[in-house]
Amino acid sequence: MNYPIWQIPATGGSILIATIAILHVFIAHLAVGGGLYLVLTEHKAVRNNDNRLLQYVKSHTRFFLLLTMVFGGVSGVGIWFIISLVNPAATSTLIHNFVFAWATEWVFFVGEIIALLIYHYRFDSMNRKAHMTVGWLYFAFAWLSLFIINGIIDFMLTPGEWLTTNEFVHGFFNPSFLPSLIFRTGIAFTLAGLFGMITAVLTKDLDFRAQLLRYNVKWMYAPIVLLLIGGILYLNVLPAPAEQNLFMYNPEANTFDSVFFISSILLFALGLTMLLKFNRKAQSVIVGLLIVIGLGWIGGFEYLREIARKPYVIYEYMYSNSIKVNEAEKINKEGYLKNAKWAPIHEVNDENLLEAGEVIFAHQCLSCHTVGGYNDIIPRTDHLTERGMEAKLTGLGRIETYMPHFFGTDKERKAVAAYITRKINGKKEQPGKKHIAEAEVPEIPPFDKEQDEYVLLAWNDLGMHCISDNSRWFSFLPPANTIWAQLIKRGEKPQVISSGVELKYEVQEGYRNPEKHVPFWKYAEKVYGAKLEPGVGLSGNKVTGTMHPNVHNSFIAEFIPVTPYRDDGKFNPYPAFTITAYNKETGEKLAMTKAIAPTSTEMGCRNCHQGGWRWNDVAGIADETSINILQVHDRLSNTNLYEQAKNGNPVLCQSCHGDPAIGAGGKKEHLNFSSAMHGFHANYLSGMSGDACNLCHPNTPGGTTECLRSRHAEKGFNCTLCHGKMEDHAMALLKHEDERGKPSAERLMQNLPLRGVESVKQVNPRMPWLQETDCLSCHVNFDVMSSGRGIDGFNRWVAGGSELYRNRTDTHGVMCAACHGSPHAVYMATNMYGKERDNMQPIQYMGISGTIGTNKNCDVCHTIDMKFNGHHRNMIKKNYKYRVPVLKENKGQQVLKDKEAGNETAKMNNTNTSQSNALAFIPALVGILFFMFRKFKVR
Amino acid sequence: MILQIIPAPDVLPAHWMWSQVLLLVTFLLHLVLMNFIVGGSIFTLWDSFKGKTVKNDAFSIPTLIALTINFGVPPLLFVQVIYGQFFYSSSILMAVPWLLVIPFLILGYYGAYIFVYKTGKNKALARGSLVLSTLILLYIGFMLVNNSTLMLRPERWSMYFENPGGTNLNWGEPTLFPRYLHFMTGAIAIAGLGKALWYYFRKKTEPQERDSEMKRGIKIFAYATVVQIALGIIFLFTLPSEIYSLFLGGNMIYTILISIGFILALAAVIQGLKQQLRSLLIIAPIILAIMVVMRELVRHAYFGDIYTPGDMVLQPEYGSLTMFLVVFLAGLYLIYYMLKLMLKPKTDIER
Repeated sequence: MNYPIWQIPATGGSILIATIAILHVFIAHLAVGGGLYLVLTEHKAVRNNDNRLLQYVKSHTRFFLLLTMVFGGVSGVGIWFIISLVNPAATSTLIHNFVFAWATEWVFFVGEIIALLIYHYRFDSMNRKAHMTVGWLYFAFAWLSLFIINGIIDFMLTPGEWLTTNEFVHGFFNPSFLPSLIFRTGIAFTLAGLFGMITAVLTKDLDFRAQLLRYNVKWMYAPIVLLLIGGILYLNVLPAPAEQNLFMYNPEANTFDSVFFISSILLFALGLTMLLKFNRKAQSVIVGLLIVIGLGWIGGFEYLREIARKPYVIYEYMYSNSIKVNEAEKINKEGYLKNAKWAPIHEVNDENLLEAGEVIFAHQCLSCHTVGGYNDIIPRTDHLTERGMEAKLTGLGRIETYMPHFFGTDKERKAVAAYITRKINGKKEQPGKKHIAEAEVPEIPPFDKEQDEYVLLAWNDLGMHCISDNSRWFSFLPPANTIWAQLIKRGEKPQVISSGVELKYEVQEGYRNPEKHVPFWKYAEKVYGAKLEPGVGLSGNKVTGTMHPNVHNSFIAEFIPVTPYRDDGKFNPYPAFTITAYNKETGEKLAMTKAIAPTSTEMGCRNCHQGGWRWNDVAGIADETSINILQVHDRLSNTNLYEQAKNGNPVLCQSCHGDPAIGAGGKKEHLNFSSAMHGFHANYLSGMSGDACNLCHPNTPGGTTECLRSRHAEKGFNCTLCHGKMEDHAMALLKHEDERGKPSAERLMQNLPLRGVESVKQVNPRMPWLQETDCLSCHVNFDVMSSGRGIDGFNRWVAGGSELYRNRTDTHGVMCAACHGSPHAVYMATNMYGKERDNMQPIQYMGISGTIGTNKNCDVCHTIDMKFNGHHRNMIKKNYKYRVPVLKENKGQQVLKDKEAGNETAKMNNTNTSQSNALAFIPALVGILFFMFRKFKVR
Repeated sequence: MILQIIPAPDVLPAHWMWSQVLLLVTFLLHLVLMNFIVGGSIFTLWDSFKGKTVKNDAFSIPTLIALTINFGVPPLLFVQVIYGQFFYSSSILMAVPWLLVIPFLILGYYGAYIFVYKTGKNKALARGSLVLSTLILLYIGFMLVNNSTLMLRPERWSMYFENPGGTNLNWGEPTLFPRYLHFMTGAIAIAGLGKALWYYFRKKTEPQERDSEMKRGIKIFAYATVVQIALGIIFLFTLPSEIYSLFLGGNMIYTILISIGFILALAAVIQGLKQQLRSLLIIAPIILAIMVVMRELVRHAYFGDIYTPGDMVLQPEYGSLTMFLVVFLAGLYLIYYMLKLMLKPKTDIER
């Protein structure tokens, strides 16, 4: 931000630092350990009067000098060069805080050079004892150099108290100073032995060579004690997030964990072979190998240290991309470009979007990533759409805590997303196929208030419901709609009838062959553990069948496998079901009605996870999207789901992420499905309102479903009014899991910002599906409007499943949904496939589309006038809200007029970057999973 | 625009004069050592191509490289301390050629060793290595001059926006070549003096050779200094007028320093022609010191109102400075002690 960025996107600065630094430390540690090696070996030679050994020391000194003084010395300066080119801000911090430590180190460096020159050039031509004293001094200088540099390097990983005091002493003698010093001293001695082997193996005399190699093996192995002590202490002082990133979260660390671990084993195992007598050629090869392994070993260690430090270059002080922690707030407020001295432009607008994106990308991303090189940005982003990229930037550093956050304004974030997606990944905006939601005019069954004896009320228990039609890859929502019904015998005191009658259901024409449209049946056995005949759902029901008696004198048909794809090639996520009640004995038809079973495949995964729609550019989860999702899951959670699916074994998400609603399934340590989904995605979709929900759930305005049809929607309410903003919503779910000790809850919670509440403490945890917002939180005492509590359902959960809207009854046993309609489609609902499509029962029974019984229509059930609030408080009021549909006659039936029925033929224009969604899955899950896990013992 | 682009400096732990003085002192030492290796390499190559035997003093080149690098470290440190924001910026602008200094230096350094080990054994390899080393030394000098001039000219930094890939050099800078040649010719002069000094202490050398090499060294010094004076004047007048006028009466200190420098240079030429080694050993270091100080004053003049190291925020922290001073003194003593050990005679048994 303060400095120009050296832009070498294909190479990347980080790999240059790594290359120079690793080569340097390899030799620099040798320079320390080798010092002691030389002088101790010289002592040994003098003590034993062993001239051959003395000559070996002399030849090794020359080799040592050429390696350490030339390569070691210059590459050390090289580190200074490269770090100041790649991260000048951090270099400047180190230089200015530790200027006199560097200067002190230089004094040791001078001493080191002079001592080594004397030691080498005067090997045979000075007093032996004095020579050895110079040798000791060399070692002292070299080790003291390490002492100083060690303090500065470890300051970057654990600045400790310095962060608050800014005191030199605190920064230098930081928490990892001692562990690292011990560990590095151990490395130094090991390398002394390792490099000793090079000159040893050149010795021609077999016995002497064997003796030397044995001696060097001792040098390699003796420091293991130091390595172990230092290593253990080191791990102990690592900040907890650093340790998590190192060993759990950061996929980059996995590689280097392996490199370090494997090379440690190989180094010390292969080193032992030096005890055996081989021919010289074989030994030389092994020594060569050992050197390479040694380089891998130290490279692995240094990389791990660097990775542990991420996302910082100086822990909790400065991010890897040179942005100081304390500058973040200002940048987010004012904008990055405005604060970036070396940006060629200082604000982003519609015209310079891509240019601004490129600049910010160079400034904030290139310090670690390349385009086509190491840590390549392309494979890390090319599975994302532009919207997905934007989300990724929003959530950057929250779950992948090894990455810095994105710093800048919303517009700047969009600019970077646009640049990465369009310029780097070469994606173009692809206009989606135009989908026309054809208004359908269903025939409404007749009802004669004078003659009819029965009133049949039916509803789908979930108002916003999806199916995942990508079973080939994974699955979480099978086709499964559950329809309820209550049959009421009209009279002075109407009764809910549950015996002596039989209720049948039948889907409308066009939806009767679901097996032709989704791959559910092909994978049902693998995914759900249920062997199903085509067209048969998980509970054995087909799209046409008989309902079963259920609680509250109701009837139910569970898991009807209906899809939005019709046999005529059209898409309509609102199939109408005809429910008919018969006298069980006589078969006489008692009542008939129609209800809508929402079943959308407009799940917006593809909004972010590149891949488009599966079905005709209209809806469904495409293969590419599915694969992209699995690969993200594999990368972040160390799974192998993609390979599994590719080999024909797709999984059910809930086989690991159980659902609390069913009290079974899933793995104990794993988050429940709802917490995992919302908890993860909330980190990426924060700062939004209902549009965040619509990105996934089928409710995008102008989309193919617009599933929030309830009268609430007409008032402009969105999902967040009942469920809370995405972040708060997720937090409530996560907190529930966190309290049950699920380890990954914390990871998702730790950086999740809150919106409507101040702290996590204020969030009421909730179990998904069984604890939803209580309608009475706003409709206190059944008042129409909230009574001073504000329109905010968040945090006001029902205590348990029996109190849910869809499970509850009034004081007379009539279920809430019987009169008010499906959740999310509460009567006086509006449907894009025909305005009154969800209101067929109110229209059938009252001629208006409002709550059953509204506007003093008590006579739907009651044959006498009713003057009091019989079912719940506040039923009879001054102002009734309802809509009068325009009706016309059609073959003797009442039919909605086209104009009124259709919302003027809604048009939509999907683009790749437009928001869309997939919502229906929420409600369905409860029932579905309950049954699934109980009955079919899903994996 | 120019002011906006200059990065903000970090805080200082001790008064900036500490860094300033240490910068100048260590740079002076680095400069002298650099002169020895650059000039020495050129002499050796000259001899080599003239078919003369390689002189003894040439074999100290690798050792001198070691010390030159070593004494290059503190100036590199202190320039970052008080001019970091300028130095980092210019380095990044020319990152590629600048970073290449490192691998080239390693190559050149090894080249010098190959030259030492192969002289008399493999003439082509020895000479080839030295050619390579010398070219690399000249390259490094050119890069340093590029960087040192580019860091002074924030108004030229907009080249970054045309080319952020780090492959810029300060080509348009009028002082670039005069300055570079001034340094390189100076290297030849001082290396000549160094050669004389070397043989002065090498009393075991054949007296005739010793005498002729000493004379030759002083002569090179004298002639190179004549060229140096001319180059110095050119260099002076390629500076922006507001800066060179400081030396011509615009500023008392600047003027006095350049006057003394000029007079001493003339004196050095005369003493050189007279083969007066002892007086040259006094005059030359003074000239060098004056040149180093003037170089710094030019830097201050370039920054003018934009910046002085005094602008940096001071957060005093003298503990580490004390540590350095103590270690520095101890280091000096230990170096002295090691040199003493080096000269300690062998015991009878060892003989």
